[in-house]
Amino acid sequence: MSQALPSSAAASVAPVRFSPRRVWTLAYATMTQLMRMKILPFLLLFCALVAAMGFGFSTLNPEQQLSQFKTMSLGVLQVFSIVFGIVATALLLPKDLEDRTLYTILSKPVPRFDYLLGKLIGVLMLIASGLIIIDAVLSLILWLQQSMLFASAVSQLHSENQDSPEAVAQMREIVARQGLTWNLHWAVWAIFLKATVVTTVALLLSCIASSTLFTIVITFCITIIGHGHAMIREFIFQPNLGSTSTRIATFLLATICPDLAQFDVVDSVANGEIVPWVAVYEMTGIAALYMTVYLFVTHLVFVEKEL
Amino acid sequence: MSATPAVSVNHLTKVFKGHLGKGAFRAVHDMSFTVEAGEVYGLIGPNGSGKSTTMKAILGLLNPTEGDTSIFGIPSTEVASRRSVGFLPENPYFYKHLTGRETLHFYGKLCGMSGDQLKSRAEEMLALTGLEDAATRRVGGYSKGMLQRLGLAQALIHEPQLLVLDEPTAGVDPSGSRIIRDLIIEFRSRGITVLVTSHLLEQMQEVCDRVGIMAHGRMVREGRLDELIAVENQTELVLENASTDLLAKIDALVKAEGGSTRLLRSGHPRTTLERLFIEATNEPKKP
Repeated sequence: MSQALPSSAAASVAPVRFSPRRVWTLAYATMTQLMRMKILPFLLLFCALVAAMGFGFSTLNPEQQLSQFKTMSLGVLQVFSIVFGIVATALLLPKDLEDRTLYTILSKPVPRFDYLLGKLIGVLMLIASGLIIIDAVLSLILWLQQSMLFASAVSQLHSENQDSPEAVAQMREIVARQGLTWNLHWAVWAIFLKATVVTTVALLLSCIASSTLFTIVITFCITIIGHGHAMIREFIFQPNLGSTSTRIATFLLATICPDLAQFDVVDSVANGEIVPWVAVYEMTGIAALYMTVYLFVTHLVFVEKEL
Repeated sequence: MSATPAVSVNHLTKVFKGHLGKGAFRAVHDMSFTVEAGEVYGLIGPNGSGKSTTMKAILGLLNPTEGDTSIFGIPSTEVASRRSVGFLPENPYFYKHLTGRETLHFYGKLCGMSGDQLKSRAEEMLALTGLEDAATRRVGGYSKGMLQRLGLAQALIHEPQLLVLDEPTAGVDPSGSRIIRDLIIEFRSRGITVLVTSHLLEQMQEVCDRVGIMAHGRMVREGRLDELIAVENQTELVLENASTDLLAKIDALVKAEGGSTRLLRSGHPRTTLERLFIEATNEPKKP
């Protein structure tokens, strides 16, 4: 062991700056820690569920069948990513505190912001990995189903002697619109963005509260309120509704809760509508803004937190 | 030795705010002390005396209500002060899915270490703490003593000048406890400053140069250990192979001296239970 000398004290005076490498170390450790929470079997179960759903609407016409498949699978995916984001984040900080791992980490030259960001990125990395895997499975099933449905529709047209080139082209267009398109990936991206915002809210609450259950329950409440943000805004801007105190409380609620309806493109995608690039940029920008604001507030709370 | 103290605590007061109708709690009250570079300083006191709170304030994990603390002259509130500190909390836990070696790599990376420097330092620490054979085992399977030693290894990974140890031998069997105590002595020989808390006063007596005794959030005694524990008006005489006659002569001499000089006791000095245990358990196994 080399001799420890106090002579390096002068060099130690230099402030410890933000380090992407340190954040990555924490994020990777968080991701592997969460992987140990038996998340993979859950993911496989979800894939099996999606696969089963993909072939479960055989009595419907091709358009409805593909649409229902997308609605169901993207809906379940949305719930999965939000639940995972909230629960995992609500558990992480209290667990590190309880195990005193937080003490050993923060007694090293690690700025608290680096720690927070590392934890958040770790959770988001796992959500992103899960969504990428499920997106791939979803795309494969949708493509298979699309091919099978098209073949079956053409064969039906043929048996009814209606397989004119125009009818086949029309059928191809219908199936293609409802089948595998970039829109599906944009829907998954929107789900990820929504989960990102909710996870950041959960991180903020877990820094304020000492109870995991409180964090989970309140974040779920905020998520539900966030989906009805438009209604809250409508209430605030209607001059004749409610007392002043109710309006002030509603305004505060609207300020605190994110507008999660901004990321709701699942229905449009399920209906075969095209998600424009502008909408994707807009959603990404809104999510980045929410994340920045919530993370900044989280940092302000955490930097003063007594451990 | 540097003129700047390794640790400086100036009029530290910590009051925890009360919640839900509970009153505020004053954990530490106007505490001041310094730990000089290169020494082993023991902070002792009963449960709830404010030792851990003081340590957390030194490490910047808690903000003082009044007063300030610094490490090698850098305020504890600055993250930079942690460059020179290694901390072992009481009963540490680590990420259970990592192996001992991975744990050291994780903490090393947090300190900005990488590549061969990190690898060789981690191996060095595993060897120092006797965990080489367990390096590839998951931490979840480590015994309490091994966890403490891994805790020491992670505290030392970035070559700190100061080690802060909170109850390093808590829950560890006497052999494990002895290993940790020997390590503390070795750290001192290598010029590392150690600030340690423990309930095991006998062990503290063996390793500390200076001690501070805390009670009810205040420092009630502080100074060099040998000065604090010396009984000024008594003299100890330890003889080997002394005959009964010789002892009788000494007794007679003391009586002849008269005045206030008295022989208070004579007999065989006793070893400690800890020493006896260590000796007994380290005896070679009988066939």
